[in-house]
Amino acid sequence: MAAITLKNIVKSYDKTQVVKGIDLAIEDGEFVVLVGPSGCGKSTTLRMIAGLEQPTSGDIIIGDRVVNDIEPQDRNIAMVFQNYALYPHKSVKENIVFALRRLKVDNEEIERRLSEISEMLQLEELLERKPADLSGGQRQRVAMGRAIIREADVFLFDEPLSNLDSKLRSHMRTEIGKIHNKFGRTSVYVTHDQVEAMTLADKVVVLHDGYIAQSGTPMEIYLNPTNIFVAQFIGSPSMNIIEGTLFNDYLDIDGYHLPRNQLSNVAYQAPITDSGLKVKVGIRPDFFNDKAFFSETEITFNFTGLTIDLIEPMGFDKEVLFNLAGSSVKARLDLRSDITLGAKIDLLVDLSRVLIFDHKTEQRL
Amino acid sequence: MTPLERAEAKFGWKLVTPTILILGLLILYPLMYNVYLSFFDVQLNGYKTFVGFENYIKLLTNTDYYSAIGTTSLYLLGTVVGTTLLGLAMALLLKDPFKGRGLVNAAIMLPYVAPVISVVFGWQFLFDPISGVVNYLFVDALGIWSERTNLIGNPDSALWVVVLFDIWKHAPIAYLLILSKLVSVSRDQYEAAAIDGYGPIGRFFHVTLPELYFVLATVVLLRLIWNLNRFEDVYLLAPNVQTLPIFTYYQAFTGVIDQGLAAATSVIQLAVLSVFIWFYIKKIMKW
Repeated sequence: MAAITLKNIVKSYDKTQVVKGIDLAIEDGEFVVLVGPSGCGKSTTLRMIAGLEQPTSGDIIIGDRVVNDIEPQDRNIAMVFQNYALYPHKSVKENIVFALRRLKVDNEEIERRLSEISEMLQLEELLERKPADLSGGQRQRVAMGRAIIREADVFLFDEPLSNLDSKLRSHMRTEIGKIHNKFGRTSVYVTHDQVEAMTLADKVVVLHDGYIAQSGTPMEIYLNPTNIFVAQFIGSPSMNIIEGTLFNDYLDIDGYHLPRNQLSNVAYQAPITDSGLKVKVGIRPDFFNDKAFFSETEITFNFTGLTIDLIEPMGFDKEVLFNLAGSSVKARLDLRSDITLGAKIDLLVDLSRVLIFDHKTEQRL
Repeated sequence: MTPLERAEAKFGWKLVTPTILILGLLILYPLMYNVYLSFFDVQLNGYKTFVGFENYIKLLTNTDYYSAIGTTSLYLLGTVVGTTLLGLAMALLLKDPFKGRGLVNAAIMLPYVAPVISVVFGWQFLFDPISGVVNYLFVDALGIWSERTNLIGNPDSALWVVVLFDIWKHAPIAYLLILSKLVSVSRDQYEAAAIDGYGPIGRFFHVTLPELYFVLATVVLLRLIWNLNRFEDVYLLAPNVQTLPIFTYYQAFTGVIDQGLAAATSVIQLAVLSVFIWFYIKKIMKW
């Protein structure tokens, strides 16, 4: 068991800086998910923790030792690779126990752990097979088994589910969650899938272009993103960003006046000139709904007379598109909402969830 | 077979027929004729008398034949082990890209592509007892040997010169075969083994070697097959080293010419070779 600290980590290849100064403290037993689009530096950061890449500058501390100059084999970490990286010449069993053989664990103990792990991951029938004879999902489980059996200080996951189909992916996601709850090891998990980030993490770290855009609990990131990048990256469908103008008394969106004193999640208090302040308004599709589905006590604003351009029934709910201030805006409505294409309807929005961002810097106001 | 498959099979046979005819004429016919000859006492005027297994009996009671088998075994052992190890070592060293690798590669391949006859003269010059650099180095410069020796002149030491020559000339092909496999081993496997706690030596034995199994077996068997028949390198560099092909040549074309006996020698050699080739096709070519 160990905490991990990254101190001002920079990684460059030739002249390209991939990781541009990351500070991160991961507590003992915490499940941290690094999430971001391709090329944001998340995998590189993970590989530096593993020791497969050397940071150009900065310190990596695992437990109480700086591990910059320590080889991966001496860091006591376990890792699940994106394409599993199983040893093709070894049986499933030998793949799983390979690390234990190196540690000279006695055979009885190896067998005990193997049977525990293979039962947990339903690998009992597969132990004598070679990786080539396994399906993608089975290989993934073997890779998991190989990591878990170590009882290492730190678990690293490099997009472990990205090669699985969606059904298997959500199943394995649940399994990883269960395994973490059972063993409680410090885990760092890299993904570009925000659902995995939201569901698994104790702490989500959103990376953008080599920097940390925001880190916090999944709900913090979801409800209180600090900038438009994070706001749009986390949550599906992604947050609507609409042009608006902030005045002393109200927020103007396309002629609708949202009372400023009821925007309880807007911290910006400074007085504003009469011409108003151009801002970008962020509203998640989830926070729109029909009047019928809000309770009396909720503070809402009614966007009246919206024309619906498109309806996408999703099963449990339906997503509708309409136009507001020149942007196509999406709302996720209750299944029971009675709407028809082209009709004019009223939609309410929860005012406590309306966010505003600086027009230029795109930072939260 | 569907009609389409039958038509394709027919077309396939048409394509390979010329090759089969040429191979039959140039290889199969002489081969069979050689087996036939081995049962005759052959005169130079072409007159033949059937002698049954007499040639084989004569051969198997000849001590020179056993000494040729011994020489061939040492030659095969030295060259196969030497080229494989040297090829492997070079491939491991030169696996990762570095500046000037193309040049180094070209230099390594040179001995393999150079014509035998020219490099043989070069080597004879190197080992010359009076003006050769080898004697100069070991006697005059380093003082390891007390007197100049004619390494090629003495059949015992000449064998090792021939072995060395073969390693030098043929290690490049082993290097090339091994390298082509080595660069295709995925980096993930090495990384996974490092994470699993294995250092460079452990990674070599658990990742590199299993991946190289088939290519190493190919190198070993191909070298066995080629070198069992190797004539020109040995004969040109040191004609006093009597490996089986040289022994056969002396029987067939020099001194008391006995082509029937030479034919019998080749037949036995062919049988051994066939075993190697069968093994290669059955066990190794599967990859």
